[in-house]
This record gives sequence, C-alpha cells and structure tokens, in this order.
Amino acid sequence: MTRERMSEQELDATLAEVGERLAYPRPTRLADAVRARLREPRPGRWWDALRSPRYAFTPAIATLVVLALVVAVALPGAWAAASQFLHVNGIDIFRAPAISAPAATAAPRATFAGSLTTLDDARRRSDFTVKAPTEARLGAPDEVYRGLSPDRTHDVITLVYSSRAGIPVSRDAGVSALVVEFRGRIDEALFGKVAAGGTRIEDVTVNGGKGFWIEGEPHLFFYRDEAGNIWNETLRLAGNTLLWEQDGVTFRLEAQVSRDEALRIAASFR
Amino acid sequence: MAAVKRVRTDSVEGRPTEDAVLVERSRNGDQDAYAELVTRYQAIAARTAYVITGTAADAEDVAQDAFVKAYYALDRFRAGAPFRPWLLRIVANEAINRRKAAGRRPTVGLSVVEDRASGDTALSPEASALAQERREVVLEALRGMRQEDRLVIAYRYFLDLSELEMADALGVARGTVKSRLSRAITRMRALMERDQLHDA
Repeated sequence: MTRERMSEQELDATLAEVGERLAYPRPTRLADAVRARLREPRPGRWWDALRSPRYAFTPAIATLVVLALVVAVALPGAWAAASQFLHVNGIDIFRAPAISAPAATAAPRATFAGSLTTLDDARRRSDFTVKAPTEARLGAPDEVYRGLSPDRTHDVITLVYSSRAGIPVSRDAGVSALVVEFRGRIDEALFGKVAAGGTRIEDVTVNGGKGFWIEGEPHLFFYRDEAGNIWNETLRLAGNTLLWEQDGVTFRLEAQVSRDEALRIAASFR
Repeated sequence: MAAVKRVRTDSVEGRPTEDAVLVERSRNGDQDAYAELVTRYQAIAARTAYVITGTAADAEDVAQDAFVKAYYALDRFRAGAPFRPWLLRIVANEAINRRKAAGRRPTVGLSVVEDRASGDTALSPEASALAQERREVVLEALRGMRQEDRLVIAYRYFLDLSELEMADALGVARGTVKSRLSRAITRMRALMERDQLHDA
C-alpha cells in the first residue's frame, strides 16, 4: 500500500506522528549536573595562576608578555627582524628575554583540567577525534582528563603518563609525559609561548604537518583567543615540548625526551 | 542563609520569569537563574541532540555539555535575542561535532516507541496498519539522511519551531528556511523511494 507515493499531507502527518513517538531521552536533573559542572574550577584563566603561590614569578612573566605584545605592536619591524616572533598555522610563539624560571620548589604533582575519565570515554564523548601514542615505552596513559577550553567552547583532553622508564619525571609537573589535545582551527586561537632565555624553538615536520620543537627550561604557555584575551591554558611545565596541528586538532606532547624520540612518539599517535 | 527554595517569578504578577531576565542574571553569574533556563529547555535540548546522535545516552551528554558551553558563551549572546534558538544552535553544533568525532560509527539508531493505545484507535485495523507502515518508511529514511537535513525536518515537524526560530537555530536567513526544508523533504522522498525499491 505504501508502494504508492505519499501525498504531501500524508507525509506531513506521518512526520508529525513519528515525531510524537521518537524515543527521546527525558532528562530530569540536567540542571543539577550542569550546576555541578559550573562549580568546577575554571581552568586556565591566567589571573587564577597568579593567585597560586607556585607561580610567584608569574606576575613578572605576565608583565613581560604584555610588554612583548606592546613591543610587537609598536615595533613590528624590530620584532620581526629579531626573529623572535614565529607565526605558523595560527600558532604564535613569543620569545621573551631572560625570564627567571618559576620557583624550583618541587610540586608533588600538578593538577589537570577537567574531570578524570578513561581514554575510551574521552574518545566517545569528545567533540574531536582523540588520539593517543601507541609507542611501547609510553604504553597506555595512567590518567585521562576531559575538560573544556578556557572559553568553554571546546573539549580539552589531557593524557598523563606518571612515570616511565628512561623518561625523567618532570620536577614541576611530577610526571614523565603529558599529552594535551583539543580541536583548534587555524585563526581560532593564537598561541603565545614565553620561553626562558635558554630555550630553543625549532620548526619541525610532524606527521607531514607543521610543528614546533621547544627545548630547554621549563616554560609557561600563554595563548590569545580570538577575542584577544590572554590565557594560560594550563601550567604544566613538563620541559621539552612538541606542538603540532593535525586534522584541525592541536596536539602537545611534553616530556623530557630528545627531539627525535618526541617525533617518533608523535608518529605513533592513533 | 535562606534555605527556602522558591520558583523564580517576576515579583509582581507571579508569572514565570522571562528568558531575557534569566539570561541577564546568568550573565552576571547567577547560577540559579541559569539552572532555571536549563530546566526550562532541557527537554527540547535533549530532543534536538537525539535527532542527530540517535542514542539517548549520547543525547543527554551532548545536552549537558551544550548547556555548560552556552553558559560560558553568554557573553556573546545578543541581548534581547530569543534564547531558545540560540541554545539549540549550540546543542546542534555539539551533537554534530560529536558525531563527526565518532567517525566510523554506524548510522543513527533513532527509534520510536509504538504505544498500543495510540491515537490510531479511531482508525480501522487496515488504516492503522497503513499508518504504522508509513511511519516505518519515514523513520528508515530519517535514519539514512544527512544530519543537517534531519535537523531541519526535526525543527519543523518534531519540535514545532517557528520559521524565525528555525532561521536562528540553523544560522541562516529567514528566507532560506523554506528552501532548506523543501530540499530536505525532496531528499527524504528520494530515500524513501529507494528503500521501497530495495524492498520490492
């Protein structure tokens, strides 16, 4: 009988009937869940970091960032000529001269943005394709966190590798390796990095795409969002960092390994 | 600390507080006001998400995330604009992104609850069977549709959005809504005919 084409009225009526019968979820306590999420500390606002005693030097660094920005605006020629300003793929790296590293008091363990979850769950629930290194030495992450970007518009996944043979545990973050990933498109966010004097920044090719290898002193990550706000996404200070963008997702691997080792780990991301 | 829980109303007339007032309070950090908006729109948010994700559990996750993200995006909300379509746009984006991220997952598992005591009781058994058959054909086509098309159809037929709200929720000009809808229906009919050829 339905072999005949439905009339417009029949289709309209049938659509309305289907709509009435769909097995919709019936959330009842969503407000409580949302309220609980809003109570979670909002990670990464840079002024929050200033409140933490661990970052007693941060005001000075923040001032330098602002100065650096002012210099960049006022003297673009000088800035570019000094080759201290790199811009690739929407990622800006600022090199600031001689910044004292944060206080060397060993923090037992950094805290990470978001709520503790599992890799499978993060993969299922995140708004981008979460990848993880399959390299044998790292193995599976010990902890996985799923949080939101500072402006809460996209998910941020953090993979934590507490202690791995042959990879020193970072003095500041208390872990061997960290992977941070989030959906970030070109022009969506600008990343600024304040590098201490002894830090080396190198352009690298990661999985066929553009990336940076940043080596040296512990450092702070700052970035500017599209509205021009400055955030420090999270201060993890794990040392050497490989930063790259792949399929619209920004990945960051922080570990005290060599550049080649980091590239090898990056190539194992699945 | 006043522990008295009360329904938010405009003080004078006891009517439910207007969205715009709740939005403004939420913007100023009043999470109770925002909770009220969540309660008000949780059902339509979850339904919108369900149309795209096709599973109830995912839809609830999406709705929750969307409400959190919307809260922090309130700065960008144009004062005086209607809240509901703005929220739905965030919900739909969240759901679509999540489906994209899931990538290889099979097609949407939308399902219906066929209650026996349906409105079809007035119909003859034959007519009732025909109506059900039609629903199955339509549902199958819905499952196979592009999610953007499914969303347009859902806004119009399942969630009863006005044309203006649809335009806001879809982020298109008002004049575009009709053509979007008619294209979606055309593609839906094509799918239905293809399905029936397979069955024949």
